[in-house]
Amino acid sequence: MLQLTSITKSYFQKIAVDDVSLTLNEGEIFGLLGPNGAGKTTLIRVINRIIEPEKGEIRYNGEIMKAKHLAEIGYLPEERGLYKTMTVYDHAVFLGRLRGMSKEEVNRSLNSWLEKFEITSWKNKRIEELSKGMAQKVQFICAVLHEPSLLILDEPFSGFDPVNVELIQNELKSMKKAGKTIMLSSHNMKSVEEICDRAALIHQSKKILEGSVLQLREDRKDGRYAVKFKGNMLAFTHALWTGFELLDKEEVSKDRFVAYVAMRGENNFQDLLKTLIGQIEIEAAWEVLPSMQQIFIETVTGKSI
Amino acid sequence: MNVSWLVAQRELKERIKTRSFIGMAIAGPLLVLLLLYILFSVGENNKPHWNVLIVDPAGIMDNKILANTTGSISYDFANDYIQLKDFEKSKRFQKYDALLELNEKILSNKAAFLFYKEKPSFLFATSIQFHLERRLEEVMVGRFSKMTVQEFRGIKQPVSVAFRNLYDPKNESYSLSGWVGFFFGGVILLFILLFGMTILRSVSSEKSNRIVEVLLASVKPRQLMFGKIAGIGIAAVIQFVIWTALIWLGLSILRESLFPDMMNLQNWNIGEMTEKATSGMEEGMFRSKVYNDFVELVYSRIQFGDMLVFFLLFFIGGYIFYGTFFAALGATSGSENDGQQFVLPIMALLLIALWAGYYAMQNPLSQLTYILSFLPFTSPMVCMVKLAQGYSLGEGYQIYVSFTILALSSYATLRIAGRLYQNGILQFGHRLRLTQFVTWLKNG
Repeated sequence: MLQLTSITKSYFQKIAVDDVSLTLNEGEIFGLLGPNGAGKTTLIRVINRIIEPEKGEIRYNGEIMKAKHLAEIGYLPEERGLYKTMTVYDHAVFLGRLRGMSKEEVNRSLNSWLEKFEITSWKNKRIEELSKGMAQKVQFICAVLHEPSLLILDEPFSGFDPVNVELIQNELKSMKKAGKTIMLSSHNMKSVEEICDRAALIHQSKKILEGSVLQLREDRKDGRYAVKFKGNMLAFTHALWTGFELLDKEEVSKDRFVAYVAMRGENNFQDLLKTLIGQIEIEAAWEVLPSMQQIFIETVTGKSI
Repeated sequence: MNVSWLVAQRELKERIKTRSFIGMAIAGPLLVLLLLYILFSVGENNKPHWNVLIVDPAGIMDNKILANTTGSISYDFANDYIQLKDFEKSKRFQKYDALLELNEKILSNKAAFLFYKEKPSFLFATSIQFHLERRLEEVMVGRFSKMTVQEFRGIKQPVSVAFRNLYDPKNESYSLSGWVGFFFGGVILLFILLFGMTILRSVSSEKSNRIVEVLLASVKPRQLMFGKIAGIGIAAVIQFVIWTALIWLGLSILRESLFPDMMNLQNWNIGEMTEKATSGMEEGMFRSKVYNDFVELVYSRIQFGDMLVFFLLFFIGGYIFYGTFFAALGATSGSENDGQQFVLPIMALLLIALWAGYYAMQNPLSQLTYILSFLPFTSPMVCMVKLAQGYSLGEGYQIYVSFTILALSSYATLRIAGRLYQNGILQFGHRLRLTQFVTWLKNG
């Protein structure tokens, strides 16, 4: 759906985005990750044609991206604001009409979103009357009013409480189901793991990783397994044969533990389970994949954690 | 719909519902009307006593004049010709404040000249005119008719006295019309300053609350800047229309209620006035005729059609010219309070323009006035003064040249400011320096 090829942008001799190429497939949620100052926001601004790249090409559905395509894109910037003295309705009308909607279309779409979020009473409130969280919901609604095919969200969860994070996540999943493509930039790695199909990591202006979230985690697994059991830790340790190594443990409750184990020699997960069955009461066991947060930190800092 | 127009509409709605806009629309015209009322009713009476030398070589007045009722004017007579240079420098004339020159033709052309050292107060001007006219009536009745003075006063026409500055006897500077132009030009500058600051605040606030980035995903920076300038400009024009309507209405009410004698030809009938019991009342009534000169200026002599058309043209040109500086400043500043130091040079330019208008009024024929009328910084002010005073025959084209230069300059500043706006609008948190302007100008 969206193809970025060799995008380069610099500000007064400082390179902000260096030769970045990306592909977003239709109907996927794509995570754009990277530390502060990596160049994510610049890249998003380039996609939205807010700034022009010095080099590179952007294609939208196979066509060179032009101003007309912006009507199909929804954008929620990281640094977002609203006109404090305007009402929610006036705001939506103004931003919707800038995106090419008629007043009636805006009204219809706004009503539907306000009903969905159960906030219909806010329609004629001035922005200054709303709390920060309420205003952020309005900002999200304004970004999706025109039912864009591609939604670009820069830090969409920042400032939201967990309930609203969940609400926004669910909306994004619904939009994905409806065939929309979503690109989100976030520092909330848990959310990225939960909702993103694919992700790319930008560091020091360059893209250093790209792939499906699951694949990125699979590629970096280190043979760790976790076993959640009921019993005592001493029995667990005794049960482990020399073919396994206890790496770490967490006490969940008085007689419940999660133990992290690595294999030695030719041993595998099956052997581990066979060894433990009968010695302790196993409640769950799984292969431990590195979290996106772990991958992020290790890739950016170059140190393993 | 054009996105700039949508931005302009939002700005316009935002401006016209603010308290400051409504307050200015009411308080501004009221203030102007109050000043006009004070001008009408109080005048500039600042000198308690005047010594006037009447130079009457033909002896027409017979060294007599109507007794001064208030005692504020003393008259002496001279029956020989006195050169203005002598009157200005000779010790024996030092005690006189003014010289009233009557030539032998006064009985036919009804014209006299008064040369003053200090600009006379309104009270003095009308009093001396009244005294002279009364004495001339007696002289004319005695010489040319068998009527009584009372009968003559029933049929006579008023005499005209041209008040001239002794140091400027050709009357280059004394022009009531010029003040009207100065007022119009001043309003242009006032509106440019007020609405220019509104542009600056609006751009800075959009930038600091970060809504600008949402807008820039749909609108190009230049379109956003142009929409903003246009919307606030339309608000300014609406403000001016309200001012014009309210001032016009106020002047009509003043004419009808506070000064019922104005514009009423019946009240100009001096014959009726002379029937009044005391000469003090006659003087008072007589002054109303001079009010009528001002009203005549306001209602008849000034070509308000032309003035308003050119006012709008020069306002739009001047507003875009200066407004773009304010927009660029707002876009390039690092925070809402940053960039205040760069407002001062713009305000200095506006003050220079105000001075240029005053200079043009005092020296309408000077070379500097000619040059200032073409400079885009000063032309909105100077051209209003020149237009009110009237361009000389064959020089009318100059105002079109001035406007063309202003329009082209406004286009150029729009381009330059657009570049600064584009490069600065997404830069946050810095302290604005002159070097940044240069860098951002280079990076188009």
